[in-house]
Amino acid sequence: MSRRGKVALGIAAVLLLAAAAGWLASGPRRLDAARVAAVGPGDAKAGERVFNMGGCASCHAAPGATGEARRALAGGLELKTAFGTFVVPNISPDPEDGIGKWSFADFANAVQRGVAPDGSHLYPAFPYPSYARMTLADTADLFAFLHTLPPVKGKPPASRIPFPYNVRRGIGLWKLAFLRDTPVVTLPPDASPAVLRGRYIVEGPGHCGECHTPRDAAGGLDRSQWLAGAVNPEGDGSIPNLTPDKDGLASWSAKDIAYYLEAGFTPHFDSVGGSMVEVQANMSKLPASDREAIAAYLKAIPARPNGYPPEKSKD
Amino acid sequence: MSKAPRPLFLSMSLAFGLGISLVVAAAGAATTADDPLTQRQALMDATAAAAALAGGMLKGEIPYDRTAAKSAITTFWAVSRNYGHLFPEGSDTGKTEASPNIWKDRAGFDAKLAKFTADVDKAKEVSGKDGPADLASFKGAVGPVLTNCKACHQDYRITKK
Repeated sequence: MSRRGKVALGIAAVLLLAAAAGWLASGPRRLDAARVAAVGPGDAKAGERVFNMGGCASCHAAPGATGEARRALAGGLELKTAFGTFVVPNISPDPEDGIGKWSFADFANAVQRGVAPDGSHLYPAFPYPSYARMTLADTADLFAFLHTLPPVKGKPPASRIPFPYNVRRGIGLWKLAFLRDTPVVTLPPDASPAVLRGRYIVEGPGHCGECHTPRDAAGGLDRSQWLAGAVNPEGDGSIPNLTPDKDGLASWSAKDIAYYLEAGFTPHFDSVGGSMVEVQANMSKLPASDREAIAAYLKAIPARPNGYPPEKSKD
Repeated sequence: MSKAPRPLFLSMSLAFGLGISLVVAAAGAATTADDPLTQRQALMDATAAAAALAGGMLKGEIPYDRTAAKSAITTFWAVSRNYGHLFPEGSDTGKTEASPNIWKDRAGFDAKLAKFTADVDKAKEVSGKDGPADLASFKGAVGPVLTNCKACHQDYRITKK
């Protein structure tokens, strides 16, 4: 073979190797099958608590649904983001249009690893990077609860995602960079059970960080500004700083935080607003001990200055 | 004060009496004022202060008092009568947390205001001349009023701070 031929072959081999490595790296990574198989059947009653913690109905109930209609998880809500418009899917137990035919392993891999039953990646508009920190037992309870809800026919329209974000394989690389199932905040060894429970709820099923933590250009959460507040991903304004900083909740007692989650009023009786109204309604359904745990955790995390720029004056 | 005057309530009723006068004065001025932002923010501050008094009594942090309860309800009542006029076209810019949705969906916003007004009217009826007779009737009257805060703030207020 000529020298040029050898070089060309070498380059081709390197490119092929890089492509193969990229393909492998971007592949789906599922939960350990033996661990999933070892989880017993879930308890639907306990699953309702997980359902409220996770705020599933806030996105998956039909937009504007109230009362009993919020139990019909037909999907259809449009999430307009910088990466495209995501349309929330039907997760009712309908066998054709919902998740009725999914096994528990299918469900757990979707919720905790963002992997669909066919092996394709789900977009992290679905907050699985937080749900990754849930216990499999809680996921099993949630699965049992979802099966008690009414099946709904009909699939919402497809999401509208422009190139390059429509290349789902790319999400595999995103996950390599950002998907971690370990806690964000390291707590002292003598942390109280309430603070630990609060960390689990806030960082896991509650997925508070998804809105209250700023994101970098790649759409990953900036952990150095954990819960420091962020620009509103859905439009004007900001999402508040939850850390015990003077710009955040420094002046709120743990009792104030728990009361806000229960009743929807700040210490000065301003009311909850925006998309937090739905979240607060869900949190108000949790046992008081869970709201107290969230409050204890928020008082225990490091204080950070606001994770969003000050508002430019329009005057 | 119906019984022995407590200093807390004395100052509180004074503050609320003053608050209501201010609210009424603000409402009167609103027809000619050129700054609806200041006017509506004053009314919201009065509302939050009344909610703090009501909420404090509901939580048991402030002992129940009929006169104080009437004061809170009357503040809501005064606000409900005047708040809707303070969002003219063009008052969506500047230092305001009013959402553009107010002007995009005026009918929806007006419906929320109408619901608030209706709930306040019922509370005013329970309140009567002397204020709700006891904490339970106050709770029944003012509870529905307080749900209107978040119902409206969900779509028609944005947070900037």
